[in-house]
Amino acid sequence: MRTEQLIVALGIGAVLLSTAASVAAQGQRGGGPPRPWPPQKLSDGQPDVQGIWAAANGGSVSLTNPISGGEDLDRRITGVEPRRPSRIIDPPDGKLPYQPWAAARQKQQELDYDHASRPEHIDPQHRCLLSGIPRLYTIVPAFKIIQAPGQVIFVWDEYHAYRVIPLDGRPHVAANVKLWMGDGRGHWEGNTLVVDTTNVRGARLTYIGDFHSENAHVTERFNFVDADTMNYEATVDDPTVFTRPWTIRVVEKRRPDQEVWESACWEGNVNPDTFLDEGKK
Amino acid sequence: MGLRFHSFLMLVTLAAIPAAASAQGQAAAIPRTADGKPDLSGIWQVMNTAAWDIQDHAAQKGVPAGPGVVEGNDIPYQPSALAKKKENYERRATLDPEAKCYLPGVPRITYMPYPFQIIQKPTDLTILYEYVHTVRYIFANGTPHPPGPIDWWLGDSRGRWEGDTLVVDVIHFNDQTWFDRAGNFHSDALHVVERYTLTDPDHITYAVTVEDPKVFTRPWNMSMILYRHKERNFQLYEYECYGFDYEKLYPYPQQGAAR
Repeated sequence: MRTEQLIVALGIGAVLLSTAASVAAQGQRGGGPPRPWPPQKLSDGQPDVQGIWAAANGGSVSLTNPISGGEDLDRRITGVEPRRPSRIIDPPDGKLPYQPWAAARQKQQELDYDHASRPEHIDPQHRCLLSGIPRLYTIVPAFKIIQAPGQVIFVWDEYHAYRVIPLDGRPHVAANVKLWMGDGRGHWEGNTLVVDTTNVRGARLTYIGDFHSENAHVTERFNFVDADTMNYEATVDDPTVFTRPWTIRVVEKRRPDQEVWESACWEGNVNPDTFLDEGKK
Repeated sequence: MGLRFHSFLMLVTLAAIPAAASAQGQAAAIPRTADGKPDLSGIWQVMNTAAWDIQDHAAQKGVPAGPGVVEGNDIPYQPSALAKKKENYERRATLDPEAKCYLPGVPRITYMPYPFQIIQKPTDLTILYEYVHTVRYIFANGTPHPPGPIDWWLGDSRGRWEGDTLVVDVIHFNDQTWFDRAGNFHSDALHVVERYTLTDPDHITYAVTVEDPKVFTRPWNMSMILYRHKERNFQLYEYECYGFDYEKLYPYPQQGAAR
């Protein structure tokens, strides 16, 4: 293993350790009784799916081999390549349908990530920037679903990220307004929350440099299939970067109810130079 | 038949009296949750200049003038703390934690010039602030503060209802946040008590008691009004403070632009 790889790995390890500490500190404060299924209806008719959820196999190292950051660290130390099924369910080959220039850019960004010599080579998520939609549904940290009349709210355990999704059919904000968390508009189809998300910013999808542009239109389906399981599907239509729309699926599982405590990120950020290769390219 | 109809009319008349009285009286009935508590849910924002200076202040370039929100205007600093406050003011451009985009602490987050949304449940309230997507949970299920010491930017908030007022006790702060852009500050011994009282459907009286024996000689109070946003389709946008400096580092193809 080369020195610079070790440095990157240690950087990733530090991020993971801080995540683990945050989760451990919260402990368990009552798991609560089992949730009824089919779900109870809230006063505005929404199925009650509130609580804490997280990806069953979390991690945004890669979409095609979605290992966690911890497995990525093991891989770098042991040299043994773990394999997980691709999150991409369409196209059927499980790969992102990049346009040629975009495929080249992703490859370069993957190389830069493994041999980071400039701050912009660091995955923005490791610098506490909000990863937006759909990446935040693929990561290890949990999120909380809160429902208010006419609204579904997602609050993440990390990065103090949240999104409020109105269900009243209002129009999207103006097209020139780009939001880190996008602008979601939702409606329920039975036990499936369908969200139309626009006004996103360009963003990285993975550690290894996959990305979409601000022209992405994301259609999300949160399909609650039992009291403790939700299948998240996001179809990304971004004609600037890809040759066709593509869809990921992530199985999300309910976690025990517990108090969610403060998670500052940027406030503890270190100088990016400490992440970087000493032997600049 | 005639008698019964007369009785019915009387009932209608009697039932109408309280409603009519409140419509003509001082304040409309406040919204309440299913459990009978005042419902603070909604999007709120102050209409004052406390973000710049919580005390009375004249205008400066880029600073709107305004009356302060501190009761009596004076903040009872200990002598050494007053010297530090003055130094903070002189060097505010670099020392203010807001200039570094840090989480701004409580109560400062409340009166920054950005809206915030309260989602009220029987056992907790979630507050989502537009400023850097700050999230705050107020646990209102009777549980005590966790044992410290804990240094949090926003502290640990435990709420309880005293009549129609939500009283929030906040401790476990760090010593990194300020009260305003004028250098008013505290230590990690800060203890904040917030009181949220819905006075009519669209106004909350927000009263704060600040206690910090390392910095002040006695507790002191702030008071202001939170106004409900009633614009059609109003929603929180974003002020991702530290994100602005990153935009040039992570460029993406833009609408209509050549690559």
